[in-house]
Amino acid sequence: MSSPVTALLGPLAISPSPRPVALSFQSVTHRYGSRVALDKLDLDVPLGEVLALLGPNGAGKSTTISALLGLVRPQEGRVEVLGGDPRQSVAAGRVGAMLQAASGIGLPPGVRVDEALGLVRRLYRRPAPRDQIVERANIGALLRRRTDRLSGGEAQRVRFAIAIAGDPEVVFLDEPTSAMDVESRQGFWRMMRAFGDEGRTVLFATHHLAEADEIADRVVVLNHGKVVADGPGATLKAAVATRRLRFIYDRPDRADFSDLEGLTEVEIRGTCVSIDSLDADATIRDLVSRGVPFRDLEVTGAGLEQAFVTLTGCRAVEADPSAIPTGCESAVAQVRHEP
Amino acid sequence: MTNLSIAPPNLPDRQIGRSLENPVPRDSWAGRVRPLLAFGRFEVGRLLRSWKFLAITIGFPVIFYMLFLGDHTAGKVVDGTVPWRIYLMVSMCSFGALVAALNAAGTRLSMERASGWARQLRITPIPAWSYVGTKIVASMLVVFPVIVLVEAVGAGFGDVRLAATTWIELTVLIWATSLPFAVLGVFIGFLVTTEAAFPVVTGLMFVLGYFGGLFTPVDQMPGSLQFVAHLVPSYHQVSLAIASLDGHTLALTHWLVLAGCVAVLGLAIVWKHRVEEARGLA
Repeated sequence: MSSPVTALLGPLAISPSPRPVALSFQSVTHRYGSRVALDKLDLDVPLGEVLALLGPNGAGKSTTISALLGLVRPQEGRVEVLGGDPRQSVAAGRVGAMLQAASGIGLPPGVRVDEALGLVRRLYRRPAPRDQIVERANIGALLRRRTDRLSGGEAQRVRFAIAIAGDPEVVFLDEPTSAMDVESRQGFWRMMRAFGDEGRTVLFATHHLAEADEIADRVVVLNHGKVVADGPGATLKAAVATRRLRFIYDRPDRADFSDLEGLTEVEIRGTCVSIDSLDADATIRDLVSRGVPFRDLEVTGAGLEQAFVTLTGCRAVEADPSAIPTGCESAVAQVRHEP
Repeated sequence: MTNLSIAPPNLPDRQIGRSLENPVPRDSWAGRVRPLLAFGRFEVGRLLRSWKFLAITIGFPVIFYMLFLGDHTAGKVVDGTVPWRIYLMVSMCSFGALVAALNAAGTRLSMERASGWARQLRITPIPAWSYVGTKIVASMLVVFPVIVLVEAVGAGFGDVRLAATTWIELTVLIWATSLPFAVLGVFIGFLVTTEAAFPVVTGLMFVLGYFGGLFTPVDQMPGSLQFVAHLVPSYHQVSLAIASLDGHTLALTHWLVLAGCVAVLGLAIVWKHRVEEARGLA
């Protein structure tokens, strides 16, 4: 996909790092039957980087991670992990991963958490110390519990513990927070960021744009198996001139906003209206000329979500509660408190 | 709004793991085997603590044995020379092995593959074949006590008297010839969905049991069914066991059919695995 944004991002992208490369894709193409999952993908990830892989469903995120683990052998191109074949790194116990679970929790049923963790540690020649894993993944209270009696968030913490059990240099996480509520998610990312801060390389795929933005050193947006944007989260946002207008409107009607100047997106929650615009000035002038009685107007730089929509031409697939504008919530609360 | 600050990547202040220039030295023999032993212990431990698994694997053969014991009068002879009580015990040993092997692997493997646990193990350092290998070994390990248990029932209630060496020979023979069942259990786990696994396993228990002549001796079946029986491993397993008790030579055909079953099922597992790998599902 070639958008003006991609062209704009070129000079803004971070310069090649002098650090050695941990992960590398060289013109990698992979098809499942006739469906192209990776399309001449080129990507280098330096050692110690925390990288977010962003993209809609079917963009190639999971295939990218599968290729890095040697679970998928791409038909063309070359994938390297820590300077060698992905399978070598796996066999040497240098990588860990939290994969997406198609169904269930991705843990063996009928055993306790400490047994599952103990097994995985014994499969590595040099595992991380048990206490360290337990502390990092915050699973101390779960050790005696049975794996099939954990909540979604608890199971994800255990799966993270299993991913880091081998003391890996590189960790891949495929949508690790998809089963979590907002609070567990925040805890999880703190945990993972701390892990990355030790100089380990982390690559995670996510739908949660705010997470990619906050946690990662670098955000790579994939669509149709290609990199459509690459840079720090802030760069991506700067690349997109979208602004978000938020205001209170007592009787909002979608029809009021049809064909509004500069408009890309309207969201109405109760009396709270959120409009994304490519030209905030023109949009406000248009609102005034239409006589829309807005109040408490707030204009902000749009989040990564809008950048993402602009870049890939599609909306984030998963509803993201954390993406509800905070200003808006408080505005709603204010309205409720009015007599 | 979200916090926009992007922390610069921290440079490693210590070497994490091994450096790029020094590839990991090859594991020692112990280093290779120890993880597999841990995995095997884990699998067998899980099975022996599963109430459902124990109830099925102990319950079915023992209860069937008791029912058949009450139903038939002593002195009946199968195949002209074999006393019914011997034939029955051998059949029930074979049935016990079948039930244990299918239940040990089938349902669990299907569930683990669906939930992603099988993939999680594949990205640990143990070799790719060891997941299947360990499942088969674990099945064989739980089959053994089931055979011994049925034999104990035979000695205690079934009026079976054998010399000590004959008991040992018989046990080892039935145990070794249970390998096709263990491989079949793993294949079912690869083939069917989690929802289908339990009914398929239960169905196969009875289908292979019946057509293998475990409930009705093959020589009392109609001719066309006798032909089908010759394709079922249970029949060949029982035939070998009976022949060994009679002091006959163990016919090569039986061994060949059993080995063929193992080979065909093994290849089927490899094929299924390849197909899924190509689709990115494995």
